[in-house]
Amino acid sequence: MSEPMVERREPAGEDVSAPVYGLERYRHRPRGEERTAHVGMAIFLGSWAMLFIGLFFAYALVRTRAPLWPPLDAPPLPRLIPGLNTLAILASSAAMVRAVRSVELGRNRQGFQGLAAAAALGAVFLGLQALVWGSLWRAGLLPSSGTFGSVFYAFTVFHALHVAVGVGGLTWAAFRARRGAGRSAARLWSWYWHFVGVLWVALYATVFLA
Amino acid sequence: MINMQAEMEAAQPIHAPPTSFWRKYVFSIDHKVIAKQFLWAGLLFLFVGGVLAMLIRWQWAFPYREVPLLGGLLEGGRIGPATYQQIFTTHGLIMIFFAVTPVLIGTFGNLLIPLMIGARDMAFPKLNMYSFWTFVLSQLLVLASFLAPIGTAGAGWTSYAPLSTNVGTPGMGQTLVVAAIFVTGVASTMGAVNYITTVIRLRAPGMTWMRLPLTVWGLWLTAILNALFVPVLGSAALLLLLDRSFGTHFFMPAAVAARGGGDPILWQHLFWIFGHPEVYIMILPTFGILGDVLSFFARKPHHWYRGTVWALIVITVLSAMVYGHHMFVTGMSPLLGEGFMLFTLLISIPSMIVVLNWILTVWNGSIRFDTPMLFALGTVFLFGIGGLTGLYLGDISMDLYLHDTLFVVGHFHFTMAAGSLVGAFTGLYFWFPKMFGKRLDERLGKAHFWFTFLGLLLVFGGQLLAGYAGQQRRLFDPFQNPVYQGLAGLNRWTSFFAFALFAGQFFFIVNFFRTVFSKRIQPAGQNPWHVTTLEWTDSASPPPFHNFDRIPLVVRGPHEFSNPEVQRLTGRDFAGQAEVLPGQGEPAVSAGRA
Amino acid sequence: MLAAAGRAAAAPIPERGYGLPLDASADGHRIDSLIQFTTIATTVIFVVAGAVLVYALVRHRRGHPAAYQPGNKASIGLLVGFVAVVAVAVDGYLFAHTLADMERVFWNFSAVEKQPDTVRIEVQAHQWAWAARYPGADGRFNTRDDVVTLNDIRVPVDAPVLVQLASVDVIHSFNLPNFRVKRDAVPGEITKLTFQARREGEFEISCAQHCGPNHYKMRGVLTVLAPAQFREWLANAGELARVAYDPEDAEAHWGWGWRPE
Repeated sequence: MSEPMVERREPAGEDVSAPVYGLERYRHRPRGEERTAHVGMAIFLGSWAMLFIGLFFAYALVRTRAPLWPPLDAPPLPRLIPGLNTLAILASSAAMVRAVRSVELGRNRQGFQGLAAAAALGAVFLGLQALVWGSLWRAGLLPSSGTFGSVFYAFTVFHALHVAVGVGGLTWAAFRARRGAGRSAARLWSWYWHFVGVLWVALYATVFLA
Repeated sequence: MINMQAEMEAAQPIHAPPTSFWRKYVFSIDHKVIAKQFLWAGLLFLFVGGVLAMLIRWQWAFPYREVPLLGGLLEGGRIGPATYQQIFTTHGLIMIFFAVTPVLIGTFGNLLIPLMIGARDMAFPKLNMYSFWTFVLSQLLVLASFLAPIGTAGAGWTSYAPLSTNVGTPGMGQTLVVAAIFVTGVASTMGAVNYITTVIRLRAPGMTWMRLPLTVWGLWLTAILNALFVPVLGSAALLLLLDRSFGTHFFMPAAVAARGGGDPILWQHLFWIFGHPEVYIMILPTFGILGDVLSFFARKPHHWYRGTVWALIVITVLSAMVYGHHMFVTGMSPLLGEGFMLFTLLISIPSMIVVLNWILTVWNGSIRFDTPMLFALGTVFLFGIGGLTGLYLGDISMDLYLHDTLFVVGHFHFTMAAGSLVGAFTGLYFWFPKMFGKRLDERLGKAHFWFTFLGLLLVFGGQLLAGYAGQQRRLFDPFQNPVYQGLAGLNRWTSFFAFALFAGQFFFIVNFFRTVFSKRIQPAGQNPWHVTTLEWTDSASPPPFHNFDRIPLVVRGPHEFSNPEVQRLTGRDFAGQAEVLPGQGEPAVSAGRA
Repeated sequence: MLAAAGRAAAAPIPERGYGLPLDASADGHRIDSLIQFTTIATTVIFVVAGAVLVYALVRHRRGHPAAYQPGNKASIGLLVGFVAVVAVAVDGYLFAHTLADMERVFWNFSAVEKQPDTVRIEVQAHQWAWAARYPGADGRFNTRDDVVTLNDIRVPVDAPVLVQLASVDVIHSFNLPNFRVKRDAVPGEITKLTFQARREGEFEISCAQHCGPNHYKMRGVLTVLAPAQFREWLANAGELARVAYDPEDAEAHWGWGWRPE
């Protein structure tokens, strides 16, 4: 409905009738329906955040009550693969930022590629996460392995479900972008995706590193 | 302002209404239809919850005796201890989540928010439809739980762990109920997002925040609490489901499960972080509705509108900070307990402001006693009692004695049953003509009122007395302790009053069904109550699919009554929110939307 | 090791049922006086507000011209003033009084720990009975002469009692209505309760947290004895416990000991 506002830097005295690629300063000011969708999405993500805050609260309470964390008989949590996962998610968020910008500037192919890349990196995340689960399961860490196992699996599985939903959504948004449609959807999915990424960073820091 | 009106018109184009049966009545995206759907679903479960209450009262009045009518469903025709705990559990859950919430928030939120702010529908109509059907799914899960082999949930509506884990209450029934709680939370959150966004984005030009009807304020603040705190319940329900079905140990300590280490108090924290805002979620719409209805029927502007708005906002914020008063006897640190007590006492201040503003609104008015007004006044009176009894419970010393007694049950029934439910009836009688085009019968309405008002007063006043004497809640047989045998008479009498209260609801059932389905009742007209808000002044009864032929341009607040100037110019004692008075012309370009 | 159990259904002092139950405690009067204060305060508030409302309902009906008055300085001032008075006089009083109650009496466990004549009792709740344990003559828990009772707690009059509570299954709540206090027994935690009896007799112990189908039957008797009688009982019970000590008895060994303050 509304066009993105594109501001151009106009050096004095130069002919600016032909925009120079890359010098466009781009500001997106959504109006009307799009802004309504943004407000709704922001509130939705706020609600979602509260759900995860409930989970983190549970984690904090359970952990402070535990005499020893991690417990002695728990297998050590890997750090490498989850670290790679963190890089994957951060990279996919970066791809997402570029993809959204491309979509809004009308560059459908780049938009499609960016969204597809973000989705692919999300799928990589899921694959690596499955490896982590597999190895820990074989090493004896189960959901029933006390609160340590409970927290680990509850958090990582629940987060992975969100990643899976995101991968699906981004793939769908990618194909729509290739056709030139769904510009607003791309931006909304990008917010969701960044949210999932931020969650992962918090999870990684508090569950794997701490 | 005129430009904004054109903009809103463009943003909310008039669509043709749906024609197929499915799109019109089942999978409708029209907020008015969805409101009615919530109403039917909620009233159905209100009835079920009421029947469960009657079973509880039967047990108190005639313990160990065969139950008439429903005895066939029970083992041996009697209520046993295991069944009893299922009855009071499902009574609470159903009344809170599946009856009052859909009627008060689902119906009025959906019906009134777009109409009162001058919009054609919600911000996200399809999401609205999904939220209703998700809600129906949660109701089905609750019904399914009754069919489980050893019965439905039995750990109280509060589902404290470890009683609500497999250790305390094994079986599918409890699991299904926990799942139902999660799913209904999803539905609530979807609805909340819709309500919040709609009020922020789709207010008609000139409808500033301080010109909103108080009903919209109440529903909007409720939606904010819903959006923030229902997900916390979701997290608790999720963890409990994991504990029950996947062997995790969030709530099971080592004393109880071999590899435990979880914390039962964790459940209480998560539950009450949701649970206390939940009771405010249930009362804020009533606060809003009462503010408007009292002004309408006293024909007088609402007293200190701004004061009430700010008080409602303060209540909303504080509601999250008082939850620990449900946990005073769990052994929390004294400092924490005293902090919660402080905030609990503080929240009484804005509540008092709201109630006193109601009284000063009708003071010096010209009061008409139509049925909606009777219910509104009854709510003021009964909620007043409920609120005052909260003072006892928010104080740690007194709570040491009163916790888990019937005093608590009396308190929350006065505030929730008498407050929220009677407030819902106020809204139903008032907005019935808007929804269905006809007025409910006044005589049946008044009979309904007196049975309900006196019934609630006597039943729950009796509970306050019994709790004061120390009789505890959730007891299958309260008279095991011979001391309380002295209260047997009180318990029996309050049960009789409860049966009368339930019977009195049949006035409403008859009235409701007859009026909805009868072809012979006169149409009510567009604005039968002669009031000021947009849904009455600018839209037919019932409204067309697109609500407003033209998006209204709002020029004044919602309570313009008995203004001598208006009387002189129009001959009426009220002026609609978008009404241009003769001799005033089109409003100039004003300061725009706040 | 287990002393003779079994006074589960003895009747406490019969009363008429209405009103606050008999107060057998040294400090329950604090709560009772607060309840009285709150009743008076809430009644006054209710009557004043109710009178204004009823007057309006009677005198300001149809026929009375409504005032076009959305609130002026006077009416708003009156409202705010009223609320301020209530807030300070009622809420403020409740807060201050309760703070003192909690800090000095009901939650002041460290002071009770230090008193020389404190009787220490461990209570372990389970579905659906109260097991209580006394340290016996040696004054230490988890030893041969510990006295374990079922639904039967005895204390001397005029001596502070300190109870530590635990549960082995679900949350229960140790409730003494005649002493105005209760405290949850939470599995995985040790919670505390203190009280002091000032008259002899038999009083109610009940469970104040829904804990399963037989929650209503989870009752016991608290017997307050003269100090000499208490000592005699404890000595006899301790002697019996020592003689009957059975190291294989799982029920008698609780797996937790007194938690010092």
